[in-house]
Amino acid sequence: MGMRAARMERVKRRLLKQAVADNVDTIRGLPPRAVRPKNRFVKIWLRRSPLLMIFLTLAGSTYLASDPTPARDTIAPAKIIVARSPRATTSLASFDPTPIDSAAFPLLVRRVVIDAGHGGNDPGATSMKHLTEKEVTLDVAARLKALLEKNGFEVVITRGEDRLVPLRDRARLANESDGDIFISIHVNSIEKHTASHGIETYFLGATSDPSLTKLAADENRMSGYSVADLHKLVEKMYADARRDESHRLASSIQQELFGNLRTVDHGLDNWGVKRAPFIVLVATEMPAILTEIGCMSNDAEAAMLNKSEYRQHVADALYRGIRAYASAADAPQKKGT
Amino acid sequence: MAEILHVGIDLGTSRSAISASNGERFVVDSFVGWPADMVAKKVLKRSVLIGHDAVSNRTMLDLHRPLERGLLKEGSDKDVEAVRELLKHLLGLVGVSANGNVNAENVRAVVGVPAAALRTNKQYLRNAMKGIVDSLLIVSEPFAVAYGLDALLHTMIIDIGAGTTDFCVMKGRYPTEEDQRTLTVAGDSIDTQLLKLIEERYPQANVTVYMVREWKEKTSFVGSAPEKIVVTAPVKGVPTDLDITNEMKAACETLVGPVIETMLDLLAKVEPEFQERVRNNVILSGGGGLIRGLPEALEEALKSVGGGKVKYMEDPVFVGSDGGLALAVDAPDGDWEKLSS
Repeated sequence: MGMRAARMERVKRRLLKQAVADNVDTIRGLPPRAVRPKNRFVKIWLRRSPLLMIFLTLAGSTYLASDPTPARDTIAPAKIIVARSPRATTSLASFDPTPIDSAAFPLLVRRVVIDAGHGGNDPGATSMKHLTEKEVTLDVAARLKALLEKNGFEVVITRGEDRLVPLRDRARLANESDGDIFISIHVNSIEKHTASHGIETYFLGATSDPSLTKLAADENRMSGYSVADLHKLVEKMYADARRDESHRLASSIQQELFGNLRTVDHGLDNWGVKRAPFIVLVATEMPAILTEIGCMSNDAEAAMLNKSEYRQHVADALYRGIRAYASAADAPQKKGT
Repeated sequence: MAEILHVGIDLGTSRSAISASNGERFVVDSFVGWPADMVAKKVLKRSVLIGHDAVSNRTMLDLHRPLERGLLKEGSDKDVEAVRELLKHLLGLVGVSANGNVNAENVRAVVGVPAAALRTNKQYLRNAMKGIVDSLLIVSEPFAVAYGLDALLHTMIIDIGAGTTDFCVMKGRYPTEEDQRTLTVAGDSIDTQLLKLIEERYPQANVTVYMVREWKEKTSFVGSAPEKIVVTAPVKGVPTDLDITNEMKAACETLVGPVIETMLDLLAKVEPEFQERVRNNVILSGGGGLIRGLPEALEEALKSVGGGKVKYMEDPVFVGSDGGLALAVDAPDGDWEKLSS
């Protein structure tokens, strides 16, 4: 009973915090958090509806046929995520065997996993002046790490030097290190439109946009998974409670990145928050995003990305995004004391 | 230092309720009226009338019901003024006044608004409340209900008010757009329908929407009639008994279809493994929760998706304001500082 009451208190505190944050946004005249592009959301649901129907029918028939316990086993992916947090595990074990929506627990952000894209003999995108994506991501990751550590976060980095770490190993490292959020840093390259340059941030989701499928295929190269495999994985995880958190994280980061970098780079475009099945997002078990901090294919931007001041700007903006997300969820500093 | 007073306010289209941390609870009809002319002012001896007082003297008043569909109507100064009068009145009832022992600076208020209220609506309300309460937290009304009942996980609140019917699925997080729904099929639309049906059947009878509302509040039902419903109304000036059983049933049942559809729709969006728990935790609140036979009708509809339980509140009048009060008391001081204007 005491545990239940304690959990209820926790849920209440969290809800109150969110209610207050919502009101503070109203006072400041900000738009609601995590605004979804509505028509697109509907489209995705429609596209997915046959699959969803089959899934619901399956789950439903299992419910009717037997007691609900085995029915829950058919929805294992959502469970893994909940059981990951040690606090969740203890409270689950002691009084309630059913998995609980992970949204019920304050998501502490204490440990951040930073993933610098590419590396070693995989240079990633390359600019006309031979600046490589792997250099930029590694440097920005190191700057972000320093910033986070200075501000009391713990940081795990998937590669600290110029070497190739397989994508699956990056995800495994993130999962094993029990990170609270996962930030993968990449740089775009759009060969056909060298004039355009912008910022975009991804969270996990299936996409039917062929250009995104291509981008995912590029970033996923060497993962050993085919695009079809990924689509299957994404389907399985569609009902994942983690998706909302990832979306929120992606929104925070995109907002801060664009808002801050635009002050330095006036022509920058905001390409927004998108879904795509990147392997590091599929395989990680925490809220995870992949951000494309710029475009190598644009010469002017490549030149900026070559400068350490600009990279520091990027790292600053990423840090602000993480902090914005963390303070809206539950600030680690406050929680700890 | 002066004592801080926490209050929860359910600002409704039809009725507004207030619950305060000093134990006081009041409900008033959400009507505000100003004397229509000098004569009325002389007769009434007051510059503004609120609640039942206003309704019963409506012939002499410029009467306002400021919260259409639970929201403050933008662009109408008179309505803003009416909401301010209503709030002052509510706060006055629990002991807040300019020269009393509790003044506005020491009030922390939580106000519930319809789930579908937009940010602009909330901003508007916030501005309207300036100077009356300094520390203000606006939340979705069904969320306040859920909070007050500790029903924060895997529950669905269906709050049937006068202007709106609000749905909210509680998933342990502050409800987002996709967890909530607002219908405008609610108490008022039943009144309109009922009035129309009675006028059709008894064209000679002289019936007003106020009379209809009173009848509905006493005898509403859906499904099979619990008793014959007979009311008295003037027909050509002569008080006459009218049987309105069928009209009452038909009018109340206009609510059933939309509520069931929305309930099932929201349920289908709950993650599959939690649907059963939500189905068994449907809570009816608001005046509409008192419609006889409604919980049973909803349970019947839930059978098509595996069955469930619908609870209704014995005391639906204060669930929203009590929930608001609980929120007000629980919110830490630091948060209140962020919310003062």
